[in-house]
Order: sequence, then C-alpha cells, then structure tokens
Amino acid sequence: MTSIGTGYDLSNSVFSPDGRNFQVEYAVKAVENGGTAIGIRCKDGVVLALEKLVTSKLLKPGANKRIATVDRHMGVVSAGLLPDGRHFVSRARDEAAQWRRFYKGPIPTSALANRMGSYVQAYTLYSSVRPFGVTAIVAGWDSEAELPVDGQVGAGPAVGAGGKKEGGKQGGPFLYMIEPSGLYWGYYGAATGKGRQAAKTELEKLDLGSGELTLEQGVKEAARIIYVAHEDSKDKDLEVEMTWVSALDGPTKGRHEEVPKELREEAERLAKKALEGDDDEEEGAERMQE
Amino acid sequence: MNHFPQAWGRPRDDVYGAYDASYLHDQNGPKAHTQSPIVTGTSVVAMKFKDGVVIATDNLASYGALARFTNVKRLRQFNTRAVLGFGGDVSDMQYLDRLLSSLSIRENYSAYASSADSADATEASAELNAKNLHTYLSKVMYKRRSDFNPLWNAILVAGLDGDGKPFLASADLLGSTFSAPSLATGFGAHLAQPMMRRVVPNEAAVANTTREMAEKAVRDAMKVLFYRDARSMDRYSIAIVSKEGGVEMMEDEQLEGQSWAFADRIRGYGTQVN
Amino acid sequence: MGSIFQGAPIPEGPGYSFRETPAVRQAPGPSSAAGERQHGFYPYTDNGGSTLGISGADFAILAGDTRSTSGYNINTRYAPKLYKIGGDAPDTPPIALSVVGFAADGAALAERLDTIVKMYRYQHGKPMGVAACAQRLSHLLYMKRFFPFYVAAILAGLDESGRGALYSYDPVGSYEREQCRAGGAAASLIMPFLDNQVNFKNQNVPGSGQGHALEPRKPYDLPRGTVEELVQDAFTSAVERHIEVGDGLQMMIITRDGIEEVYRDLKKD
Repeated sequence: MTSIGTGYDLSNSVFSPDGRNFQVEYAVKAVENGGTAIGIRCKDGVVLALEKLVTSKLLKPGANKRIATVDRHMGVVSAGLLPDGRHFVSRARDEAAQWRRFYKGPIPTSALANRMGSYVQAYTLYSSVRPFGVTAIVAGWDSEAELPVDGQVGAGPAVGAGGKKEGGKQGGPFLYMIEPSGLYWGYYGAATGKGRQAAKTELEKLDLGSGELTLEQGVKEAARIIYVAHEDSKDKDLEVEMTWVSALDGPTKGRHEEVPKELREEAERLAKKALEGDDDEEEGAERMQE
Repeated sequence: MNHFPQAWGRPRDDVYGAYDASYLHDQNGPKAHTQSPIVTGTSVVAMKFKDGVVIATDNLASYGALARFTNVKRLRQFNTRAVLGFGGDVSDMQYLDRLLSSLSIRENYSAYASSADSADATEASAELNAKNLHTYLSKVMYKRRSDFNPLWNAILVAGLDGDGKPFLASADLLGSTFSAPSLATGFGAHLAQPMMRRVVPNEAAVANTTREMAEKAVRDAMKVLFYRDARSMDRYSIAIVSKEGGVEMMEDEQLEGQSWAFADRIRGYGTQVN
Repeated sequence: MGSIFQGAPIPEGPGYSFRETPAVRQAPGPSSAAGERQHGFYPYTDNGGSTLGISGADFAILAGDTRSTSGYNINTRYAPKLYKIGGDAPDTPPIALSVVGFAADGAALAERLDTIVKMYRYQHGKPMGVAACAQRLSHLLYMKRFFPFYVAAILAGLDESGRGALYSYDPVGSYEREQCRAGGAAASLIMPFLDNQVNFKNQNVPGSGQGHALEPRKPYDLPRGTVEELVQDAFTSAVERHIEVGDGLQMMIITRDGIEEVYRDLKKD
C-alpha cells in the first residue's frame, strides 16, 4: 500500500492518488477477521451457513442467533463487525417492509440487494461516517407462483386482458453478496470471513453453475465447508448456524427458516466424518457423496 | 410580457374571473372518515369442536345489492393456529390483512432467534396464537372506533389458544368483543346461530362434539344462509383449525344437496330463471 | 425582489388567482362543496345485562349476569362484567370492578384502572387503597367527559378499617360511597328491591305506634349469607322481567382473605 502514511487513509471518501479508498479497504480487513459465512444457491433453494466461534464458555449454546430473517422469504448472514451487521439487517427489514407497503408484495431478492448495495455504498461517500465493517450474504426465494397482491381478494380474470400467461417462468432461488464498498454480485456460491479462501475453493468444486445440487445436498455441503474453513483455527470451539429457504413445494414452503435441528446435526456429523476421511487420504480428492 | 414570473401561465382574473376553488376540499373542513361500508361481505359463521374450530364465509363481495365480486376469499390464515373470518367492508378487510401480515413478518424476525435453543422452546409456542391475535385485533378496532374512524368489519378469530385449546372470539367495528362455543356475524347471528347452538349449547357440549359434527353444522348453516340471505352465494370457503391438522383451508366449496322444493310454484328460483 | 417570489399579490395591474383554497371557510349550503356533514357512525352500543353490589361489615359483594346482547340477539351467554383490579400480590387489598353498558368501553376502563393500580404499587412501593382507587376511577371517567365511557361502574373493596366499601359511578365520573347499588338494564327493577331489603325503606318497627309515631326500621349490617340470598333473588327476579338479563350469575365476594368467585346458572330464555 504505497499511499499508507501519506494521509490518504485518514478520512473516509478520500481517494488516494492511485485511485483507492483506504477506509473501505480497512473495512474489508475487519470483515476478514470475522467468522466464515457462506451461501449456496441450489436447484430448489438457498442455504446460509455461519461459523460461530465460541468466545466464552459462559455463552449459552445455540443462543445469540446471527442469521437474520429480513422478510418471510429472505435471510441475511454477515461477517465482520457484529453491530454493523445488525444495522444492516435492520435497514434491510425496513426496505423489505417499505417495498411491501408500496408495491403490496414481497421484495425480489435482486431489488433488496440493489437497495442495500446503494445504502452501503453511501457510507463510503462522506467524511462524517465510516464504511460498513461487514460483508453480507443475502439469500432469498422469489415466489414461482402467481403472487396475489398483499391483501388481494379474488383471483382476477382467468383469460383475456389481465388473464394468466401459460407456462411463464418466474421466481427461483437467489443469492447476493454485498461488500463494504457497496459492490454486490449475484452468486452461485458465496463466502466471506476468515475462512473464505478455503470455502471458495470448496464451493468451486461443487459445480453450482449447472444447477444440479439439491437443497438437502446443499445443507450437507454447507456444513462441510464451514468445517473445512474452520480447519486453520481448529483450537477454538465451533458452532454452526444454518438457515435455508426453499421453493413453495419444498421443506420451507418459500419461507426463510432455520434448518431443523436433526438435519443440521446430521450434516455436522457427516462433515466431521468427511474431514477425518480427508486426513487419512492426505489429499482431499474424495468428496462426500450422499 | 408580464414581468412577474409567478404570474406566468395563470389566467387573468379580469378576463376569466377569480379562481373558483369551491370544488377543492376545505382544508379546515371535516376530516373524511368512513361513514358506511362500500363493498361488503356478509355473514361469518364458526363453531368449536372438541379439538378445534370450524369457520366459514361465502366467497361473495357485494356492492349494495349488486353481487359485485364472486370470487373473494374472506377467510384469512394468520399462521398454523389462527384463521380470521371477515364480514363487512372489504377494503377495510384488506387493510387489516396487510396490517396483520406485516405483524406476522415482524413476529417471524425473531421467531427462532428468541428461542435460545430450538429443542427446549418449541417453534409453535413462540408464535402468536389465536387469542393473542384477537386481543391485538380488538385493540386496533377499539382504537379506530374511538378515533371516529372505524374499520367497518365484524370479525371472527378462530384457532387455538396458548394451551392448544379451541378458541373462538369476535371483534367488531365498535371494538366489542365476546367469545362463545359458536358465533356468527350479520345475518348468521339470526339464522346460523340457532342451528349451531343446537349442537354446542355450552362449553361442556364442545367436549363431545366431533369435527364431523361441527363441520356438518357449519355447512348446513351456510346452506340456510344461502337460502335466505339475499347477499349470499353458493360458493364458500371453510377452514378447520385443529391441533393435529393445523389449518385446513378449503376455498372453493360448492353448496351440496340444495333443496328448492319449498319454491315449487315460485318462478325465478334456483335453476329456473323464468 | 424577494417578495415577488413569495407569492404576494401584485399591488396594481390585473389580479391573478394564487390562492388555491378559499381564505374564509364557506358557510354550509347547497352551493358549497365542503359543508358540515353528519357522522354516519355511532360509536356506542348497549350490550345489556345488569350488575349489583352490596357491602357488609367485613365484606362486599359484586354481582353481574353474564349475558351479552345486541338488540334481540344474544352475543354470548358468558361475558363477565366483573373484573379484578390491581393483580393478586399477597398484601394487595382486594378490589373488584363491575361495568355494565357498552362492553368495549367497560373492558377498556377496567384495563386502564387495573394498570393504574398496578403502576401505583410499582411507583410507591405500597398498594393503592380502595378510597384512592375510587377517586382515580372517577377521574378516569371524567377525563373522557366529552366522549364518555358509556358504562355504569361499581367498585368494591375493603376500606382501611376492614369494612366493606362500595362506590357507584355514572358514566362521567360522579361517584358516591353507598351501602348498595344496582346498575345496568335491570337497575330500575333491582334498586327498589334493594332499598327495601338492604336499607329497609318503607319498613317500620311493628307496633311502634300510629301515624308519625311509627318508627322506621333501622338498617344494620347484613350477614354475608343474607346478602348472597338477596343477590340471588334480585337476579332470578330480574331475569323473569328483563330480556337482556339472564344466562349466568357471577359473584365476587370480597373479604380480607381475597376475592371469592361464584358462578351460578340463570334461566337462558
């Protein structure tokens, strides 16, 4: 960082001569210290998973949930400064609620990502504020059904003007990641936090682009990846938090919910087993197959 | 050219006369509130049985005497243990529906986050039950009537209370509330209530009323209402809330086994148009 | 120059209409669009029913039927009109309130009073006495003097010396401590009965004399059993003659041991 110490990193919203905003880059550093968070966009839903390091024995296991529900069909997980993450969630909830008030329907995941991207970006523009110290992953299921307007009564015309279009495809699983700069992309698989590099490597192996991975498999892969990413800081205790959102005919009926305890524990058990297997074979070429 | 820019584009008073603002709302005038319902739904009927509640409304929304909307669902599911039945103004019903769905979204933000361990705090006990919902709703209704801005509805809340026992209560535009083994709003209070009270005269009778008995009584009540309520129709919705089954919602029911024998010599009834 | 852009009328030259709303409120009439209008909404209803309270030497009784009506319809056969006030912490003096009239107002009033009595305890570290509570209830009612709670309220408890205390109210907060009071639909049926049977009105001491020498019978503290019978008789009689009264009789008997609740069936016709 050539410009470090030359004063260009002291104020937010100030560019260095070589076109960098140091405050934003420092915010990214804050994210890189956070527990690993990942999201996997599967064929029929999205999984969010989070590595929670147990910082104290005085904390109740399973308490202090960190993956938040933003709207019925959408969830957010973030890595970095926890209070910044909560503020992010709070804003996201407001945006989702405001969208409903205005459009009388659920906010599409892309629209929420867009609005939150803009919001986060605004915190890079002023010297009176600092950028968000979080990278957030947004998972949502946009309903594939012909949605009624909130509070709508009646079904509308069956044919003719305003009638139904046959075979129109809409909705589906969506996954976005929003960084401290306000940059956001849609992903097949997203990872952030301390173990992001290892997690990304694992995510790439999954061939998510082909859209073959099912949600159930996704849950198991997500748990495994969290464990893989955790390898480097193995001395610390770990807790895995997982949520998912599925299609209307799936296990969550289009809602963002916590992965049931039994399924999560099963996924964690398999993840541990897979890791032990890896150790035996030196090179972890063998991937867990369900 | 007029040199005063704020006058540009405005008609001259000496040519057109002073601007007649009489059509505009008087800023200091009375604030507009609902004086009467516009598009309305008729009766809601419901009764308890030993492990749940049956509730029904028809699918009609009337505009005065006109059968305006014939596919309007006036039963709304709140969650797995509460269903609402709306009578009265349909737009106020839509407002309440949005209000309650925003409430349910807010409740679900923390649905699992508040239960520290999903093992010791069941998912279900964290969410609002029918009794909570009725309390909330009746406060909304009472507040609005006290503001002289009523929500013109008669509402039945059916479902389960905090102990998982059947719950049925009413709330209306005045904020009045009451609960009984069977309830009916509007015309149903006259026609359906006596039929249902025959099955469940008191809470003790609820304990030996089966789901089938309750469902039959309610469906029969819907039929009688269709015979005698001019603002009703023969397509209706019925929902059954129970501990085991959650909410079973049937929204496109057709009245079965109608008998128009009493109208034998009267033309214009049933399928006979003239 | 500044004033030009503030929309001030130009002193000379042709006038322009800048005002979009009339400066003076128009008088109501056929020509004006915005005149006075009547509200089409009446915020009250009468839910019928009747209540009654009698105080004794060391107890007070509140009673009410449990029927709720709308016109000729019975909403429900069980809608209590009696409310316990102030929670049931160990050293709280028992207070109960009965409300009859517009049930929604009644419930709102009871809830407010209950909250106030509880808050009093939190804020002062001691329970609220029944006399203070009675006056506070009067204020609650009078606060809404111009949009009243449409209820006849009766408050019952035990005073500082342990005697039964009974206070009755009109809808706007006028109140008085009494020996007995009937409220609601059948008040006019029950009250004369109470006058005669509790305060011994129109009763004389037999053989005490003729004309002005005739001695009126002196009222005394009735025992609890007698009072309970009076209440029961008052309601069974009221049910016979008033269509809005019936279904069930709920009684709260307030003693130093707390509030005892009794429910008995009444005729359901």
